[in-house]
Amino acid sequence: MNSKKLISLGLIAGMIISVTGCGSSPAASSTAASSSAEAATKAAETATTAASAAAAVDAASTKAAADAGNKVKIVLATNWGEGDSKYDYFYPKFQEFQKSVADTIDVELETYTTEDYKTKIKTQTASEDLPDVFTYWGGGMMKDMCDAGLLLDIDDYFADSATVKRDDFDPTSFQYYTASDGKQYGVPIESTRGVFLANSELFKKYNLEYPKTYDDLKKCAEVFKKNGIIPIAIGSNGGTPSEFFYSEIYNQYSGAEDELNAMTSGGPFKTDNAVKVAQDLQDMVKDGMFPEDTVTNGGWGPSLQLYTDQKAAMTYTYPWMYESIPEDIQKLSDIIPIPQMPGSSVDSSTIEAGFTVYGFLINKASFEDTAKHDALVKVCDFLASDDLTENLVLSGMVPCKNVDTAYDKQKLIMQKTIDYAKDKKLVQVHYTKLPSNEAISAMDSGLDELFINGISPEDFVDEVQDTLK
Amino acid sequence: MKKTKKRDIGTIIGFLFPAVVLYSVFMILPLLMTCYYSFTEWNGITAKVFVGAANYADMLHDRKFWQTLQNTLILVTFSLIFQISFGLLIAYLLYIKTKGAKFFRTAYFLPVVIAPVAIGLMFSLFYNSEIGVFNKILESIGLGILKTNWLSNPKTILGAVMAPQIWQYIGLYITIFLGAFQSVSGDIVESAQIDGANKSQTFWHIIIPDIRNFVFISMILCITGSLKSFDHAWIMTKGGPGVRSAYLGVYMYKTSFVNSDFGYGSSLSIIIVVLSLIFSQVLSHINDRFADK
Repeated sequence: MNSKKLISLGLIAGMIISVTGCGSSPAASSTAASSSAEAATKAAETATTAASAAAAVDAASTKAAADAGNKVKIVLATNWGEGDSKYDYFYPKFQEFQKSVADTIDVELETYTTEDYKTKIKTQTASEDLPDVFTYWGGGMMKDMCDAGLLLDIDDYFADSATVKRDDFDPTSFQYYTASDGKQYGVPIESTRGVFLANSELFKKYNLEYPKTYDDLKKCAEVFKKNGIIPIAIGSNGGTPSEFFYSEIYNQYSGAEDELNAMTSGGPFKTDNAVKVAQDLQDMVKDGMFPEDTVTNGGWGPSLQLYTDQKAAMTYTYPWMYESIPEDIQKLSDIIPIPQMPGSSVDSSTIEAGFTVYGFLINKASFEDTAKHDALVKVCDFLASDDLTENLVLSGMVPCKNVDTAYDKQKLIMQKTIDYAKDKKLVQVHYTKLPSNEAISAMDSGLDELFINGISPEDFVDEVQDTLK
Repeated sequence: MKKTKKRDIGTIIGFLFPAVVLYSVFMILPLLMTCYYSFTEWNGITAKVFVGAANYADMLHDRKFWQTLQNTLILVTFSLIFQISFGLLIAYLLYIKTKGAKFFRTAYFLPVVIAPVAIGLMFSLFYNSEIGVFNKILESIGLGILKTNWLSNPKTILGAVMAPQIWQYIGLYITIFLGAFQSVSGDIVESAQIDGANKSQTFWHIIIPDIRNFVFISMILCITGSLKSFDHAWIMTKGGPGVRSAYLGVYMYKTSFVNSDFGYGSSLSIIIVVLSLIFSQVLSHINDRFADK
């Protein structure tokens, strides 16, 4: 055999070994899993009733896996990674939990930034490789996963959890995770409130009163602009924060509440109110209310930064951004009603956008896997625990779970938010009511165009409506 | 003789097999699968529904497709004009002026190795009309009249998004062309000059024909690179507002991964592949014709 042949045979052998090697781990895991499952089934046979047998299967499966040195691996995915405002409040608690269950569960945490995270979950959904449990949005964002039967009806989780029950949560918070079949597929974690912040110092400096109507706002804007101050720091990049501000103004008009609720069950986006609000926003752009460069100053961070740098007198934001507001700015910030728009009839000082915005979803296949079930319930119990919820509240989160949150321990701006919300009726936003990703995306990109006067209000509304056909 | 041939064939297959398998698994198979998906309606989760050429028919009436195709072709044109011509020019200057050539070659190549994400973020800040440096520079040199909201002005947004990408990769072509110039035989250049050719004539009639293949490869790289553009536009504007600064790659990504329309997204991918093939073939044909002359 000559050397060329030897080399080529070596290369082929290397190739085959590497390909086989890639495939060996899952096979090994699957063998281990089936051994554990067998052990679990044997243990279950000794149980006397059907119910206790089921419990025994779960307990024995975890124990069998642990005894065999094969810890149950649970993948937890979230966008609360480094850089996210919740990271400092989530990660230490996660580490504590991870340590406490280290003997039996190998909890693997996967974190990504928000936009990458959305793509990751969509890709994993397409490849049928969803994490075992993952934090995610509801409404149109989870629709495809619900339709494909990938998610667990959370009543099944509540039935198996010893520590977390449905009654622990605000009943209205489940609405966002309710699919068209009437079942709920997400455990709500975070509710939120839209706040319109005003820099009291700047208003005092220029001897101005907080604007109550659009005419008042125009007068304030003139003074601010003359002095190089942007009246309202709201841009539009990928529809943030413009989309939520649009909804807030929308709710000032008569019939808006019913129209928004109807949207989830096939109601139109295209209404007189929708066109009116788009026109209002374009008027505000033309009147110089917003930064001139709405794209680079769009997004939650850049919009808020103009305000925290005191380059803008007002802004519209949400508590998930409170971590980015310095203490001195929190002190001089007041939460005020959004000025009443011309022709609107719902008093803006009586309403506030407030809705469930985030929670966690459970992979149905993982939950039904006897080898993983118990461990998965434990991880879910951690995510819905009072301990974690109370800690996340400190980041500026409004919890969906009824927990004791010490008012004085919270950020000053959060205390102001709680005080402001006391007498307000909570109203919904398009983000949670639009029935599909495509519609949300069309609204976001349409608003970006509306803010640069690149599209008429009518065309904007038509573009979103087209996605609902 | 026959035995030797058989042994050679075995060796050839042995060497080629791993590469063929890897290339097929990671390139050919995904391409074929994408082609299949382009004939389906699929949200990435539920079962694929075969819809024939409906996705391609939809493209004909899709305003966003035509706008992103136009944006892509504009990028291809400007990339060819600026990257190839500036690449040639600067490389030639470095070639004839050898003092400090090494330093300048490194300096020009530096942007190429920086991540497009970093370049995109950097330019976003430069363009910002509130805190960016571009408008401040324009004002300080008396060109304040040209100040604008670069990324929020429908007239400037596409140019503003294209510029960093075109600028970033000029260095790549400088390096390629510098290598090409250095490969030209000094004897031929010297002979031409002895025959009375001046520098311009030497450049156009001796050097350029000699490096024609390098120019051709660079043009292919430039075109295919522009056709699959994504990073800069995504980082700076996410292709928006609307699709005003989106290329086909960005529109494909948004359609597939944001709107979960993998069928239509796949058909957009196929269009990008087809355009790449057409451009490559046309250029190859032109190159062959020059070679025949």
